[in-house]
Amino acid sequence: MTKYLISRILRAVFSVVLVIAVIMIMIYSFLDREAIFNADPTFQKRLNNDKDIYKQQQWEKYGYLDYINFTDYLQDEIKAGRLTAEQADAARLAVTGDLDSPETKALVDAFTEKYRAEGYDIVRLPGSYKIGTKKYSEGGAPKLYATKDIPLIQRLVSYFAGLIKIDNIHNVDDVEGERGLTFTLYDPAYGGEKFSPAIMGNGTNYRYLLYCDDTFPYIHQNLVKVHLGVSYSVTKDIDVFNTMTDAQGPQKFTTITYPSGVVENTADDIHSLRYVPDTSDQGLLNQKYFVDDYTGVTTAKSGMSQMGYSFSIGIISVILAYLLAIPLGVLMALNKDKFIDKLGTFYIVFIMAVPSLGYIFIFRAIGSSFKLPTTFDVQNPTWLMYILPVISLSLPSIANLMKWLRRYMIDQMNSDYVKFARSGGLSEGEIFSKHILKNAIIPVVHGIPGSILGALTGAIITERVYLVPGIGNVLTTAINKYDNGVIVGVALFYAVLSVTSFILGDVLMATLDPRISFTSKAR
Amino acid sequence: MTDNLINLSEFNMSDEELFAPVEQDELASERITAPRYSYWRSVFRVFFKKKINIIALALLAVLILFSYVYPAVIGYDAQVDPYINLMDGSTKHLLPADAIAKFGFNLKWILGSGASGNSTFDAIWYGSSISISLALVCAAINMFVGVVIGAVWGFSRKFDIVMTEVYNVVANVPYILLISVIVLIMSASFWSMVFALTVTGWIAIAYFIRTQVIIIRDREYNLASRCLGTPITRIATKNILPFMTSVIVTLVATEIPSYISYEVFLSYIGMGLSDMSLGKLIEAAKSAMITPGWGFEFWSPVAVASIIAVVLYVVGQNLGDASDPRTHM
Repeated sequence: MTKYLISRILRAVFSVVLVIAVIMIMIYSFLDREAIFNADPTFQKRLNNDKDIYKQQQWEKYGYLDYINFTDYLQDEIKAGRLTAEQADAARLAVTGDLDSPETKALVDAFTEKYRAEGYDIVRLPGSYKIGTKKYSEGGAPKLYATKDIPLIQRLVSYFAGLIKIDNIHNVDDVEGERGLTFTLYDPAYGGEKFSPAIMGNGTNYRYLLYCDDTFPYIHQNLVKVHLGVSYSVTKDIDVFNTMTDAQGPQKFTTITYPSGVVENTADDIHSLRYVPDTSDQGLLNQKYFVDDYTGVTTAKSGMSQMGYSFSIGIISVILAYLLAIPLGVLMALNKDKFIDKLGTFYIVFIMAVPSLGYIFIFRAIGSSFKLPTTFDVQNPTWLMYILPVISLSLPSIANLMKWLRRYMIDQMNSDYVKFARSGGLSEGEIFSKHILKNAIIPVVHGIPGSILGALTGAIITERVYLVPGIGNVLTTAINKYDNGVIVGVALFYAVLSVTSFILGDVLMATLDPRISFTSKAR
Repeated sequence: MTDNLINLSEFNMSDEELFAPVEQDELASERITAPRYSYWRSVFRVFFKKKINIIALALLAVLILFSYVYPAVIGYDAQVDPYINLMDGSTKHLLPADAIAKFGFNLKWILGSGASGNSTFDAIWYGSSISISLALVCAAINMFVGVVIGAVWGFSRKFDIVMTEVYNVVANVPYILLISVIVLIMSASFWSMVFALTVTGWIAIAYFIRTQVIIIRDREYNLASRCLGTPITRIATKNILPFMTSVIVTLVATEIPSYISYEVFLSYIGMGLSDMSLGKLIEAAKSAMITPGWGFEFWSPVAVASIIAVVLYVVGQNLGDASDPRTHM
């Protein structure tokens, strides 16, 4: 079994990588890359050549291509000692290539030759003058640069290499005091008296690597960070993993002790202290609260994260679905072709055939006539607002589970061992609960890990209709706004969840049913 | 006992006529006298035995008549009609009664008017024709490709290894992502939507068919057939395909409504067709849904989409039941 599992996991990892490769080809090669600027206000403001340069810079930033500016090239040459600062200064690009001074021309040629040999495209943008003058118009200075599309393999490797980052004490350049880790049993954030173990780092990106507080799951870490993909247009420069997992809602005030010793009731999350270069004496606030360059804090929020809301709605409806669908499916099978069975079939047909949008709105209308809240209010949460989303989500899964359980049970009811059990004198109740249900439920069990993990991915329509600040619409929003980093990240998240649940389902099935074995050879 | 006795003299026949020797025919004794059995006739006999099927079929005929014939009869023009009363503010968002009061009684106003003063009734039927066409075309392509590839997939073990890996990859690419990328590249026209829905849509069907084929493939009668030297293609078409007719018909019954539902869903999240399909109508009316008094604009296309889907589902499902030879007894 272990051997089989390892090979299954390896194959799963392989197919996940392949999925990401397919998605990268789709979005980086087939999609119009100009489209990412549609909603970018900075881009709209740029003029002339600057617009083009800005495009190249952003494309480099978001992983489309490798971009090298002529000015950067000159700086590198100075650093390498092949060029003096004066020479570089003298090498100013003229309006067009043929008007360049001989010194500039030599450097331009060297630049062109070097990067052309490496497979780059060299682009020279001629300057444009203001009308009637010899001055460049805004953003109209001549430009020279080299670009090269990043090949798929390199993009894949760098993506997976950057997926998980572990903080270490050599992460930041310039740090006060000695680099190293300190372990304390009494977290200074709580004044140094309350028992609360923490590991703190100096030289790391985050001050607190491991700490405890009073919110679930009580022990938190900043040591390992997942980077799924940086957003461009939805939440600028924030990794989609953080978008999905960071708390939302109203600010949460707690009394904490700042590193400088100031005690205050504040919404600052002192455990998120992050290194920000050269900020210790910048501004009065920093001087008042902090003693070194660890000054970046985020605001503590009392709500759940996007994933948290989606998962709590999802998991309640999954539990509800199994609790209701199993007895209902059994009831339908027991009363085959009778009224209950027909009623159940009607419900299944209704859910299967009516567009999901339709019945979600129908139940929303019914719910609002019972004065249930139809929108999700993060600022003033009540448990009532969960009712309608949970109902909307569990309806289709109840129908689906009922349909299959009924089918499996009826199939089992006609099999020989049931007739044998009946002829052996077992009561109908015994036959159903000990024989038929046990056999019929196995395929249903296979889907349990899938539905639990599936709750993490949220629901698109339900969350839109009830304005749940959940995870379901992250992908659709990203697609609508051409947010490529997010698309790749979310797709990876989905793919990992789906292969994991498939493997877990098989394992669960094999543990419950000793007849199922994945190791023996198929006939 | 005596009542059953027949007096032969009543027949007024001679003994030769009454007792003529019958020739012994070896061939005739071999002939089996069973009632004539025609598969499709039995299918329809079982199908029409249920009253609900006749109702559903009649409803389906009405729906198809309205979606395909009605727009042609009234000369609905998708470029002009939706915007016909755009300038007149008093014609917009009218309930049926108000619309009839304003324009006089006409079939086209029985569902009120929409956001640009257009007739909701006309728009719904025009949209239905697009949605039904999309569903039928997609289902036809996916079913054909899916069944053919699924059959090969089930038979060939080498192909199985390759296809299982392909399935693992394709099934994990988010469907919405694939569709939106294709729609973005190719524009949101009818045929690019068909392409987007079919480019990987067949694989789930093929997987389902593969599992069915594997179950039937190794049954004893096929083993016997193979031992007798029947070629694989003949086994596939004569031994297995008839067995799967009911499965395939059931699959079609669930597929067609699912495309209608999916089209509505895609339009709702803003990735649908550019044509005025049912999904697009629902999407366009979704803001009217929130405004009190305008809800009718939203509910009418939802209701029509639901009725179409339910009718297609019921007809298909019962046809699937009827096409199972085990129900013909």
